[in-house]
Amino acid sequence: MTFYEREIERIRNNSFSNEKQLEVVIATKNFIDTNFDQKLNLDFLSYKHFTSKYHLLRLFKKYYGQTPRQYLIDKRIEKSKDQLKTDATVTQVCFAVGFESLGSFSSLFKNKVGKSPSDYKKEQLSRSD
Amino acid sequence: MKVTLISIPVTDQEKALQFYTEKLGFIKKKDMPLDGGHRWITLVSKEAQDGPEILLEPGPNHFEPCKVFQDALMDAGIPWTQFDVDNVDEEYERLLNLGVEFSVKPTIMGTAKFAVFNDTCGNNMQIVEML
Repeated sequence: MTFYEREIERIRNNSFSNEKQLEVVIATKNFIDTNFDQKLNLDFLSYKHFTSKYHLLRLFKKYYGQTPRQYLIDKRIEKSKDQLKTDATVTQVCFAVGFESLGSFSSLFKNKVGKSPSDYKKEQLSRSD
Repeated sequence: MKVTLISIPVTDQEKALQFYTEKLGFIKKKDMPLDGGHRWITLVSKEAQDGPEILLEPGPNHFEPCKVFQDALMDAGIPWTQFDVDNVDEEYERLLNLGVEFSVKPTIMGTAKFAVFNDTCGNNMQIVEML
């Protein structure tokens, strides 16, 4: 067994031994993965897993390093990038990935990707020619 | 400032280029001749060709401390860096069939599943799937 494997074993025992907590956060993350296009909020997510919302927020952040909302936004942006490569318009993509306003989608996209959704779309189209 | 480059020290650039493209599936983006028969070789991921580039740099052959560090990580089984995959089990099977050697089989730790393989150019590399 290498040093790395021993360390993994040690860290797993020290930091990842709470199966119940892991179950809840993994289920929450998977739920976001499959329902990112729906209206999601912490009340609903915590209700689904019978936890208090602040407890869920803390747990999610502890195991994934970001809050459920941050994770959801990243997921939506990632999905929107895929969809912007298709024929769908920016507005269609915005609502298809679960954003409720074009303004917030455009500014979030620009912040995260470095260019506006329409510029990104143009770039992808010219690339596939 | 932007993050665009991930540098990986390799003991043989040509061998690394073949391993990283043919087995791992990366795509060559840049290949420029440099002094002393070396090359500036960068690769991108097939699914994100405008994403960060991997630089295959021949450091271990020219700078002893780089070689010492690389060997120490290899002996300890520590990965130089890691790549995200959608499914660690599938990628493990795919690479195993291509003759890639794994030091750690698919293993779950907390919210991640990972495996570690030998890149044949002096490094352990890790593939990771977020659960």
